[in-house]
Amino acid sequence: MRSALFLLAAALSAQDANWTTYHGNYSSTHHSALTQITPANAKNLELKWTFQAQSLEKFEATPLVVDGVMYLTEAPNTVVALDAATGREFWIYEHKNPEVTYPCCGKINRGLAIRENTLYMGTLDGKLIAIDAITGQLRWEKVVVDFKDGYALTHAPLIIKDKVLMGTAGGELGIRGFLAAFDAKTGKEIWKFKTIPEPGEPGHETWHNDAWKHGGGPIWLTGSYDPALNLTYWGVGNAGPDWNAKVRPGDNLYTSSVIALDADTGKLKWHFQFTPHDEWDWDSVQTPVLVDRVWRGRPRKLLLWANRNGYFYLIDRATGEFLQGTPFVKLDWATGLDDKGRPVRVPGKVPTPQGTVIYPGVQGGTNWFAPSYSPKTDLFYLNVWDDYSGTYFAWDQEYERGKWFAGGGIKADVQSVRRDRLARRDPKSGYGAVRALNPSTGAKVWEYKMTDVSEGGIVTTAANVLFSGNREGNFFALDATNGNLLWNMYLGGQTAASPMTYLVNGKQRVTIAVGHTLYTFGLRE
Amino acid sequence: MTIRFLLPLAYAAALAAQHSDTALKNPFQSPDDRARGGAFYRSQCASCHGIDGKGGASGPNLSTGNFRHASNDEGVFRVITKGVAGTAMPGFSMNGREIWQIVSFIRGLSASRAVNVTGDATAGRQLFTANGCINCHWLNGAGAARGLDLSAIATRLTPAEMHTALTDPSAEVAPEYWTWRATSKDGKTLRGQRFNEDTFSLQILDSAGLLRSVIKADLREQSLDHRSPMPSFRDKLNEQQLKNLVAYLATLQGAAK
Repeated sequence: MRSALFLLAAALSAQDANWTTYHGNYSSTHHSALTQITPANAKNLELKWTFQAQSLEKFEATPLVVDGVMYLTEAPNTVVALDAATGREFWIYEHKNPEVTYPCCGKINRGLAIRENTLYMGTLDGKLIAIDAITGQLRWEKVVVDFKDGYALTHAPLIIKDKVLMGTAGGELGIRGFLAAFDAKTGKEIWKFKTIPEPGEPGHETWHNDAWKHGGGPIWLTGSYDPALNLTYWGVGNAGPDWNAKVRPGDNLYTSSVIALDADTGKLKWHFQFTPHDEWDWDSVQTPVLVDRVWRGRPRKLLLWANRNGYFYLIDRATGEFLQGTPFVKLDWATGLDDKGRPVRVPGKVPTPQGTVIYPGVQGGTNWFAPSYSPKTDLFYLNVWDDYSGTYFAWDQEYERGKWFAGGGIKADVQSVRRDRLARRDPKSGYGAVRALNPSTGAKVWEYKMTDVSEGGIVTTAANVLFSGNREGNFFALDATNGNLLWNMYLGGQTAASPMTYLVNGKQRVTIAVGHTLYTFGLRE
Repeated sequence: MTIRFLLPLAYAAALAAQHSDTALKNPFQSPDDRARGGAFYRSQCASCHGIDGKGGASGPNLSTGNFRHASNDEGVFRVITKGVAGTAMPGFSMNGREIWQIVSFIRGLSASRAVNVTGDATAGRQLFTANGCINCHWLNGAGAARGLDLSAIATRLTPAEMHTALTDPSAEVAPEYWTWRATSKDGKTLRGQRFNEDTFSLQILDSAGLLRSVIKADLREQSLDHRSPMPSFRDKLNEQQLKNLVAYLATLQGAAK
């Protein structure tokens, strides 16, 4: 198996054959150099193997593949090592969580990080654990935070040099979020960046009372890293309480923002707040996509960001300068962005005790599932939830430790987390689409329209094939140049994960979690 | 900490009851318990299930008395403490008394549906038969599936909502009862009830009473008629007869839980 990989080294690096980080690479483009599966032969894709999870929790994980071995998490915190060619298990590591933990929206986990022969995973009970990738034995575990305060670690960690970066969920439970870096060998904390600045710290002036003490700002999706700038980029989630925003006047930094931190020190280089004083639960927890390309005649180090608030942003990732923002779905809460990127809000489009209908709905125009950028097509691809609204409610609520602290609620025809068993809502209440945007303008180039929405991410390849799945249970391949359907397989379950692709024994495979099963496809031989 | 110690005790009692013939009874059902449960509900449950209990973007309707993951009070208690795998429903770290009080409040949401029924249910049952309701509706194992299953209609609709459904059936029609119409590319007209749909196909009950899948690529056009196929009884029954029919429908509580 490994000798086969070496033979391919002339054409493809090990990085191209493997999938070694949650996003596939530090730039988080979800783009692969693999080219065996093409628009011409995608119709010949067939199932190679499946992995049946014993857990009935939502399967949101994207696996890693390193030299023929696949590592994945089975929700909430079981780690499995598989033969990437056959799906046969090598070992299983089960982390025992307490009976009661505090995830907002299901006992989920999105994946692992790997460095040398050590795997890293965050747990629902607030621990970062290190596991030997060969033996499946625990190397160390570190208590990152007291989970009984409403914290849960759900995203895949990010390795930068000798550090493991980990943030925490809990935006609906009155937490104060943070991102921390730990020594990869010992688990010792090296630095910590607090997403809710405390008195005396820059940014605290955007909190005008004591609301910062339970101000939210979770981090629940893996960030990106630019080695040349030595900056790491992370999306920060909603302010708390989510919908009763009158109790937290001010912009509420660094909620619903992107933060750019020095990877060695954790010091803030710059930030950009997409949704100041977020009143809608529009976490800015999307994938930071790093792209170097010309914009308006000048080479730029860009950050592409399709935000839950419905705008697609271009940001200079070296300086944090806002360059452009364009709506990519129907929205009615803002009339546009000013020259600094600040939304011009529509009065009255806020949650109220009697409920206010607002576009987009609470899951936003898109969310945590991965978009993709292909240097081959120079297009940005994402799954959108379009033409759908939510009725946003607000009410007063006192903070209690470890309790739900959202200050309101949402009604909507389009369900947020789990599909209806039978799909028969009014088609006019919203639809999903894979959409290709021109990164320079934000303009739609093509779309693949679906009846239902999708929590499936996207991976594109250098052969111009795009893979994604949706809530309906379909997993499919599109021609990345025009959106034409190349291949579709009905798998029955809901996709709420991002696909990935890799080489094993010299053969390209594509893998996706659907329902409670991990499916791996390859070309018929 | 006291609060957290109480929870395992109450839950252990509930589990023990599972193995007996009699399910655990809710010991906290006074009006005061229900009111306290309502306060907990608004704080911890309403974000997902709606302030009125009729469901939201992340949680199902709790106001019918029928639950997806529980068949009695003990089951509701267990769902609140343990959560539901694969959904957004977490387990809650409240003490047992608080959880029973929430159960009382939730049960009260459906109990309130049966109030203010003034008609004669026996006379209503005769009207039900005489007007041929069973030709379209399903009731206790028999009838037709074109209309709503009425076996537990009293848990789904209030008497006022039943009255409206009889006199103005198209006032509020759930999407699953909309009439689907289409024309195929070869010119055939299709009609039926839409059971399920994805990007490529629809699963329908067609006008001949058969289950079939329709491939969207084979269709020239399709539409959904939001009007109810049910006739209005506004001019067919007088007000007293309507009240009698509602009184009968209000007795249809489904299988005993």
